[in-house]
Amino acid sequence: MELQLSLEKLKACGIQAASITYDSREVLHAFGQAYNITYPLLSDVGSKVIRAFGIFNTNVPEDHKMMYGMPWPGDYLIAPDGTVRDKLFLRDYQLRPSASEVVLRHFGDRAGGNSVAINTDVLKATVTLSTDRCFPGQEIAMSLQISLKPGWHIYGTPLPGNYQPTELVFDSPLVGEQSLELPPARPMLLKALGETLPVYEGELRTVGKLGIKWSPPLPAKFLEALGTRIEPGAYTINGTLRFQACSDEVCEAPQAVTFALPLRVEAGIPPAPKKPVET
Amino acid sequence: MDAQTKAHILHDMIRRFTTGGGDITSSDWLAFVEAQNDGYRTGPAIGEKVPDFSLPDQHGKSRALRELMGPQGVLLVFSRSADW
Repeated sequence: MELQLSLEKLKACGIQAASITYDSREVLHAFGQAYNITYPLLSDVGSKVIRAFGIFNTNVPEDHKMMYGMPWPGDYLIAPDGTVRDKLFLRDYQLRPSASEVVLRHFGDRAGGNSVAINTDVLKATVTLSTDRCFPGQEIAMSLQISLKPGWHIYGTPLPGNYQPTELVFDSPLVGEQSLELPPARPMLLKALGETLPVYEGELRTVGKLGIKWSPPLPAKFLEALGTRIEPGAYTINGTLRFQACSDEVCEAPQAVTFALPLRVEAGIPPAPKKPVET
Repeated sequence: MDAQTKAHILHDMIRRFTTGGGDITSSDWLAFVEAQNDGYRTGPAIGEKVPDFSLPDQHGKSRALRELMGPQGVLLVFSRSADW
C-alpha cells in the first residue's frame, strides 16, 4: 500500500511497479478496491514464483494456514533486460523497505520531493528525504549532496581530534536507526599545516537510510512501556550537518548547521475488509 | 533454531494474537521475528537474470514480466500477504 504513494515518482523515473503475494485473486481484488490500488497485485497461489526466485520462507511449517507460502519479503529493481539492478531485503521485519529507496539510490533527487538547502559562503549542501509521507516502521532513504567552492575542502575520517569531520545526524523521536556512509576521503597534503588529512573537494554525494519507528501490533499499554508508540500525524525531523571548511590559507571554525524536514506519518494499515474465502 | 521450535513459535504467536495478544512480551515478539527470518535468503544477486514468469493480477488478467516493465524497468515487491 505504501507503494501506491510512490507510484508517480517511480513513473517519472520510467519505472513501473507490481507486487507479488501468495493471496488469491479474490483477496487481492478486495484489497485493491479497499485501498484504490492502481498497480498490478499479482496472485502467486501455491507460491510458484516465490519459489522460483528462491525466497520461499522455509521456516513456516506446512500446517500453518496463515503463513505457509509466504516469502522472505523484499524488493527487486529489475532492468528491462531482466537482470537485477538492485534489491532490498531487510532482516528485521519491523522495518519495511520503502519503494522510494531503491529509486533514490539510482535516480537521485528526481525521485525525492523533500529537500532542504544549506548554504554558507563556501559550501552548498542539499539534504533530501525520499518521501514526505511514510508509514510507521518504514525505512526511508536520504541523500546528502555537497558542492564546495573551488580551493576549499571539508574533512573526512579518520581525523585528529582538533578538526571536525563531515557528519550528518538526525535527531528525532521518530527516527530509529540511521546510516549514512560518506565515500572515502582523499588524503591531501596541507602545506600550511605540514599535515596530510582526508578531505573532500568539489562535489560530494551519498545516500543513506532512516528507519522510522514502528508500533508493533501489541496492546497500547505494552507499547508505551517500550516507548515505541508512534501516532500518525505531521512530524518534523531535525538534523544537523557538521563540517569544517578550510582552504590552503585559512580554516573556518567548525560548523553545526541544524535543519528541519517535514514528514507525515500515515495511519497504519487497517485490516482489509474480508470476503469469506474457501481454503 | 530447529524446525520444531520455529513451528511452535509461529503457531503460538498467531493463536495469541487471536486471543487479544495481551500476554505477548518483547522477547516473544523478537523470537517470532527470528523464527521467520532464520536463514533467510534474498534470491537472484544484483546483475543476475530473474526467472521469467506470468501471473494473474487482481482483475484476473495474466501479466508476464516483460509486460510489467517501464522504459527503465520494474520494481517488484514481494510481500507476505495483502490479507494480514
